[in-house]
Formats: sequence, C-alpha cells, structure tokens
Amino acid sequence: MNLNRSQHPEYKNIEDINIPSPKKIFLDNGIETHVVNAGTQDIVKIDITFNAGSWHQEKALIATTVNEMLTEGTINLTSQQISEKLDFFGAFINAQPTKDFGNLSLYTLKKHLSETIKILEDIIKNPVFAENELQTFLSKRKQKFQIELEKVTNIARQEFNEQLFGKNHPYGIKTKIEDYDKVNKSDIVQFHDLYYNSENCKIILSGKIDNSVIELVNNHFGNNDWGNKNKIASINESNIGQSVMESFIEKKNVTQSAIRLGKIIINKNHPDFHKLNVVNTILGGYFGSRLMKTIREERGYTYGIGSALVSLKREGFFVILSEVGADVSQNAITDILDEIRKLREKKVDIDELNLVKNYMLGDLLRSFDGPFEISSSYKSIIELGIESDFYHKALQSIKTITPDEIILIANKYLQEDTLIRTIAGKYN
Amino acid sequence: MIKFDKFTLNNGLKIIVHKDPSTTLVAFNILYNVGARDEDPEKTGFAHLFEHLMFEGSVHIPSYDKPLQMAGGENNAFTTNDITNYYITLPKENIESAFWLESDRMLGLDFSKEKLEIQKNVVIEEFNQRYLNQPYGDSSLLLRPLAYKVHPYQWATIGKNIKHIQNATLTDVKDFFFHHYAPNNAILSISGNVKTDEIKTLSEKWFGSIDKKEIAIRNIPKEPKQKTARTQTVKRDVPFDAIYKAFHMSSKLEKEYYTTDLISDLLANGKSSRLYQNLVKDKKMFSDINAYITGDIDEGLFIITGKLMKSIKMEDAEKAINSELDKIIEGKIEDYEIEKVKNKFESLFEFGQLSALNKAMDLAYNELLGDANKINLEVENYGSVTKKEIQDVATKLFNTNNSSTLYYLSKKSK
Repeated sequence: MNLNRSQHPEYKNIEDINIPSPKKIFLDNGIETHVVNAGTQDIVKIDITFNAGSWHQEKALIATTVNEMLTEGTINLTSQQISEKLDFFGAFINAQPTKDFGNLSLYTLKKHLSETIKILEDIIKNPVFAENELQTFLSKRKQKFQIELEKVTNIARQEFNEQLFGKNHPYGIKTKIEDYDKVNKSDIVQFHDLYYNSENCKIILSGKIDNSVIELVNNHFGNNDWGNKNKIASINESNIGQSVMESFIEKKNVTQSAIRLGKIIINKNHPDFHKLNVVNTILGGYFGSRLMKTIREERGYTYGIGSALVSLKREGFFVILSEVGADVSQNAITDILDEIRKLREKKVDIDELNLVKNYMLGDLLRSFDGPFEISSSYKSIIELGIESDFYHKALQSIKTITPDEIILIANKYLQEDTLIRTIAGKYN
Repeated sequence: MIKFDKFTLNNGLKIIVHKDPSTTLVAFNILYNVGARDEDPEKTGFAHLFEHLMFEGSVHIPSYDKPLQMAGGENNAFTTNDITNYYITLPKENIESAFWLESDRMLGLDFSKEKLEIQKNVVIEEFNQRYLNQPYGDSSLLLRPLAYKVHPYQWATIGKNIKHIQNATLTDVKDFFFHHYAPNNAILSISGNVKTDEIKTLSEKWFGSIDKKEIAIRNIPKEPKQKTARTQTVKRDVPFDAIYKAFHMSSKLEKEYYTTDLISDLLANGKSSRLYQNLVKDKKMFSDINAYITGDIDEGLFIITGKLMKSIKMEDAEKAINSELDKIIEGKIEDYEIEKVKNKFESLFEFGQLSALNKAMDLAYNELLGDANKINLEVENYGSVTKKEIQDVATKLFNTNNSSTLYYLSKKSK
C-alpha cells in the first residue's frame, strides 16, 4: 500500500453543531429552572445560583464566608452530620462564591437524590453559622490566604483588579489579612437572610432528569416558605475609579515574575462580543495562539501564556496573563505588545483564520459534550441573564468573521496604550 | 460495565475500542510504556522532556498542532513515573486525522537542536513555575529521595536536578526515542461512536507498517525494605510549618493496593474523614491535611501532608497524626465507615464514566497493568476489602521504621 504520510487525510469542516437548548420551567413559587436532560449515567447535578456575590457585601469576606459555611451546620444537622451523610451517599456539595454570585452544586447518584436533596434544602434554608464553626473556618482560611499571597500569580491578580476597577470598587477591592479578624456572626446571618431566598436565585438541573426529579426539586425548593422576608438590600452602585496604568510589586528571591496586561472591555451582553472572542482566541485563547508561539515556543520565556475575556455581571475585562522567567518580564511585555500591534495592523492570514475557526467550532462541540458540560456552558449565560440564542450567535460569528473585521475589532478594542500592566516579582 | 473490543497488530500495537454512542466526539488515547522510572539516574527528567518534543513535528508532518486544530481537535499529554500518555478529542468524522498524526510521530520525530533548546527552556520554566516559585513547591522533590534510596521513584518526573535538562543533547533524546517509542511498547484506546471494523481498517492503514523495535527488558532495582525511620528538616521562606510523611506500600498489582487506597479514604477522603474531623475541626491543629497514595505501578508511597496552624508545635502535630494511624491499626473502625468509603468509590467511578476520554484512558492504563477488563472489576475489588485486611495492612504500613518524615519549617517560626 502506498501511503502518503505528508498529506492530511480528508477531513470535514464542522458545518453544523447541534446546540442543545435547556428547557426552561418554573417551580411553583416562580423560581426560574433550566433542565438539561442528557448523558448515559444515572447521575443528577443541581446548581443553585444566588445573586449573593461579594458585589453585594458591605464588609470584606462576608459573601464568600456565607456561601462556603452553608455546609457547616443547620438547625437540624451538625457540620459533621452533614459531611457524614453526603460522604455516605457518595454525593458532593460544592460552594463556589464569585464576585457576583453565591453558587451551590449538588452532585449525586440519582438513586440517592431523595436523601441528598434534603441536605441541600436544609443547608440553604436553615444554616446556623455557629460561632465555634465560624472561628475555625476563619482561622483556617486566614492561613490559607497567607499561603496564597506567597504566590506571584495571586499577588498580580489582586493588584491587577485594583488597578482596573479602583481601590473601593467591589470588583477591585483587595482582601487583606486583617479582614479575617473582622467578620462577625451577625454580618453573616444578616447577609444570608437578605440574599439566600427563593426570589433571588436560579436553578439548573443536569444529568438524567425526568419528571420524578423535577417533582422532587419542586417539593424541596418550590414552596413559598423561603421567600424574601426583608426587602432586598439596595444593590451597591459603584463607580469605577481611575485606572492605574502600571504597577510593580516586588517579591524577592523569585525565579519567575507574574505579569498581567489588560483593560475593562465589553462583556457577553455586547453584540461585538463574539467577534472579539475570535480576536482573543487568535491572540492567546488556545494552545497554538500567537502569544504561545512567540513567548513560549520561540522565546522559551514561559511554560504558558494565555488571554481571556472575562464577563462579570456588571462589567467585563480583558486579560493576558503569564508567569515568565524573572529576568525577562520586560522582554515578554514588549513581545506581547508587539503581537497586539500586528493583530491591529496586519491582516490575518486566511489559513490561520480557518484554523482558529475550526478550533473554535471543535471547542463549541466539546462544550456541549455531556450533561455537565452543557449545564456549565449555559450557567455562564443564564446567570448573566443573556438570551438563549447566545451560542447560535457565537456559531454564526465564528463562521462568518473576515480578516477585515478582525482588524476593525482589534483596533476598536485593543490599542496597546490602553492596556494596564502589572508585574509581581522582579521588574526586569 | 465498560464494554470494549481488543486486538493487536502484527507489529505489537495493542488497540482497544469502546463504543459510546452518546458523544459526537471521539477520544483517541495513546499510552507509551515509558516513564521517569525508565530514566538513567544521571539523565533524569527525560521522559517528560521528550513528551514536549513530541509536539515539535514528526518525519512527514512539520507541525503537530496545526492540522489537529484544523480538524477541530484538541490534545494534551502527561508524563508520570510509569507512563507517558497522549490524548486527543476531535469530531468523530475527523478521526483519521488523529491516526495520521499519531502514527507519524510514532514513526519518527523531526529532531533539531533548535527545537530541543526551546523545549529545554520551556521545561525549565515549568520547573520554576511548579516547584521553585510556589510555597512548599519543592516538598515532593525532597520527600522522594528520602523515601527511596535505590528505586528510580526517588526522582519526580521533572527530574532530580535541572542540570540534567540543561545538559540534554540531541543524541540523548534520539536514543530515548529509539529505545522506548515503538508500536510494541504502546497501547491505543479509542472511545466514541465508532465501529471496531472501522478502527481496525484505520489502524492497519496508519500504524500497520511501522516496524516493531527491540525494547530492552526493564531492569529496575527493587527498593530494599526500610529498616529505620528517616527524617529530614528544612527551613524555608513560607508562612507556616508543614509536615510530610511517606510510608512504603504495595505495588499496584497486589490486592493490598485496594486496601491501602481505602485506608487513605478513611483518613482523608471528604470532610467526614478522620483526619479532617479530628485534627482540623476538633483539635484545630492543621489548616489543611491530606492522605493519599501515589498510585504507582511498582511499590509506591502512602503520603500524609499537613499544614500546621500557627500556634501548634510540630511535635504535637506529629503525635496527633500518629495517634490517628494507631486507631486504624487497633481496628477502631466502624463497619459503617468502611461502607461509606466504598460507596464513595462507587459513586466516583460512576461520575468518571460520563467522559469518553476518561474511559479511554482507564482502558489503556488497565491494559498496561495486564488486562483492560480490570477496570470493570474495580468496584468489586474495593467492595471486597474487609476490616481485618484494613487492620493488617495498616499495621505493616504505619510501622515507624517504614516512615520517612519531612519537617518543612517556616523561617518565621521560632
């Protein structure tokens, strides 16, 4: 057989992607619930997301502490009993506090759902935040925080956010070690009362979801017994402070410096987002990106570099991040800026664009491959309240974007002199 | 139950096919039977460095990533002390692209001095990022040589000395390829909505003509039984003291392996586990504590790591750990507790089956251990462990003379 190994065997461009649409239903008390029924295993995941992120807190650490301490005891179960039961059923409850939301996810075998959902209900509706549990939690967290702050990447992240949004903005404010000593039980209880109620959440169900599952969820979360007793607190309105363009935080004896470049930018709500996302992918959004090619593969400055568009509820930002050899921070930044300049000035080669398009289409396929992938893809837009044709629009933009549009978008959003810079480690 | 078909090409390449009709993608996983344990003690870190070079182009294909991305695929790889594993997910229609790319790099690489130099730099930065520039990052680099005096598990996959990477030559790298990368030293596993016949045809077409090679028989020295407890103390620029304890355990192929794994679950899997409840929650001695097994094929390690709360003395912290280990030795374990860790294993196993890639990796790895079907016996193997076995294994395992302890002290503490 004569095999031509130099020739890429025939392959198909991905033309159509079957974008699954979760079914939207409402529980009896009106909670918006999205249902993703997919997958081969008898498994259920319940995501509940509350508008209860650190944006809403008046004091540092309150939102995350409430979210993460829900599993530490209720009026019915001690902290230990909760973990014993969950472990016995092989189930997991993960808390994931973000700047905008307090999230809880229950992963369970379907055969144990009727038991595990009771625990989920109890920890959301009846947590006690016992004083001793609170103190253990905080002192542990304080130590972990101190360890995290030894890492240049974390130093740079905190500094970068402050530079972007300002010292007093809820997205920019830094956590300090002393903050751990100032958390009171009353702050915690009050925050929970205000934000963890049926009028302030959305639910996503994924896995083997049939009517019996929906009925169970409705029985435990669809009643009117956990509405908002108080009027919802006024949402913080904050003005973004003046951006600080350049910042350097020295850390001695490092082998690498963490660098970040970026700016406040449109988020997923904006019609240009999908096109900007293609531009971002070309620059630093995948393994073969220009930044990876230059900074890692040509220069050998780093193990990895990437760029991302982050959509928060009220703002969005663009960030390039890497950890580079301690003596090449400035060289790396120069090369990064040069890559952005090229993106603005020079038309992208059609081969490269096709490659990125195909990669992104493959990635879209991957993001719908399995029940949990589908639910997490949708969670990110459901919580932002974005309409459900988001992924159809993404698909359309990827397929149709042209080299001219890329230059246009890059020039509109990514001027090098608008990017703020952060270095943690050594300056050179 | 994960069903699969299995066949072997004339050149010795083993192929496993699992049909999963629920996915539009296909997972393509190729495992090479070579890891850091196969390295020359003077040239460590090679298996991993080599993994990087596998992405730098092969004899007929100048770029590995580009055509794969054109076909909508994504890939990565990892190196352990035992194996080097490469994997791809891509749309099912484009599966032939994966055969084309993987067979060409099995055939030969497009080695060059420049590519080697760049990847050496990248690996050195990886070493910096993961081990040197992280608080407590070098602990695993210290613990291994304390526990192993003879066996190559004494070095981590990154290598025992970064100089070994810096000094690597093109000849070294070519040698490594020649001795370890061959069809008869690899296992290919594929899962997705595929038919075995179709995979057979493609395998013959792309891999069939690659010659088998003489693979040297592994001659790894066995670690002699440890006779006395070993300790090492280091002072580092970290905020809090930490302790790392390692005990020699069985190989992956013995029944004891399952028992030992369950002991680590009793101690540290989940928030209801003993170490967390007793030492973190109750006694408040640690901010963080963990117990796990390294999962190696040869005799591995059972490791306990903990970060001490600020006011706690190392001596007391260690005593507290030891007394938890004594309780297991003394058999102070409820049947309920054993049932709990078994349930948890079963549940995690079920979650793992959601992913076609996960299944492909598990099948290849179990085939390496002797039979891909072992994966289907896992739940039963864990399920059959008895309290008596737990007690017996713990008695042997947690013998002080079998322990290596690293005291990792903060310069700030007195």
